[in-house]
Amino acid sequence: MPRAARLTAQTVAVALVAGLLALLIWRVARDNNKGVSQALAAGSHPTAPNFDLPRLDASGRFDLASVRGKKPIVLDFWASWCQPCIHESKRLESARKRYGGRVMFVGVDTKDFSSDARSWQRQHGIKYPSVHDGSGTVLTEWGGLPIPKIFFIDRSGRVVGELEAEEDLPRYLRQIASS
Amino acid sequence: MRPIAVLFLAALLIVPVARASESHPTQAELEGGVMCPVCGTTLDQSDSPAAQQIKRVIARRIAAGDTKSEIENRLVAEYGDAILAAPRHEGFGLLAWWLPLGGIIAAAAIVAVGVWRWSHSREREPDATELDPALEHRLDEELARWD
Repeated sequence: MPRAARLTAQTVAVALVAGLLALLIWRVARDNNKGVSQALAAGSHPTAPNFDLPRLDASGRFDLASVRGKKPIVLDFWASWCQPCIHESKRLESARKRYGGRVMFVGVDTKDFSSDARSWQRQHGIKYPSVHDGSGTVLTEWGGLPIPKIFFIDRSGRVVGELEAEEDLPRYLRQIASS
Repeated sequence: MRPIAVLFLAALLIVPVARASESHPTQAELEGGVMCPVCGTTLDQSDSPAAQQIKRVIARRIAAGDTKSEIENRLVAEYGDAILAAPRHEGFGLLAWWLPLGGIIAAAAIVAVGVWRWSHSREREPDATELDPALEHRLDEELARWD
């Protein structure tokens, strides 16, 4: 093999290995560090990442960008197989009756069967709209499992907090409703 | 001749089994080929609520007479391609099956070419280097002295 061709082949091989290594590092770093939950835990308040998902309880899609920055939002990640989600979604449904005019409530049914999820909503009387995130891609962007995961987004589109204790709900609701 | 006959008979046996698996899938084979979306294992290794939900759906679809492909398509439509434990033998999934095989064949070819070139370069090597005429003359003289 001529020297030039051998050098080219070696360069291509080294570039390929370096590329694969970079891809691996990027993937690991992305899995470990990204997510709204992790950002909140680190003390920052990121802009709510956008998503555009099919509606669970109606036809069409819901694009978060269409309401982000216009109205405060409560985002609830849930699934029909998730036992603690029942309690939290019922609390949110009660809160919706009180704050519904000022705050928008959106559910994200994740890693779930849409038919089971619709039955679950009917069974537990959950009326706020939900979207279907079957693959869990959006959930990963927001911090991943476990669920329920409930986030509060103020009128400017910033995520101000995540529900960690019972008393967080009224506190964050007051905060975003007055934002 | 005998190995070909054995392979032919094996193929005859395998084809009906594969067809039966497609039209009448079992719960166990589907649970072994479908991932639990929250635990990172196949369904047969998980007892999480999410896995139980999918197991129930699979059981319902088998009872309804769905084929293996129909059940897998339904799961992929709900959860995306990652719900299958192995990529499908179609479209982009084919890359996952054929790329490693292609890599192995390419590596074997590179090694074979390298070995062939190495062995031929050794064959071409001269047995002895030609001597300088002056040195050869001197060597002849030296040898003549000893005769």
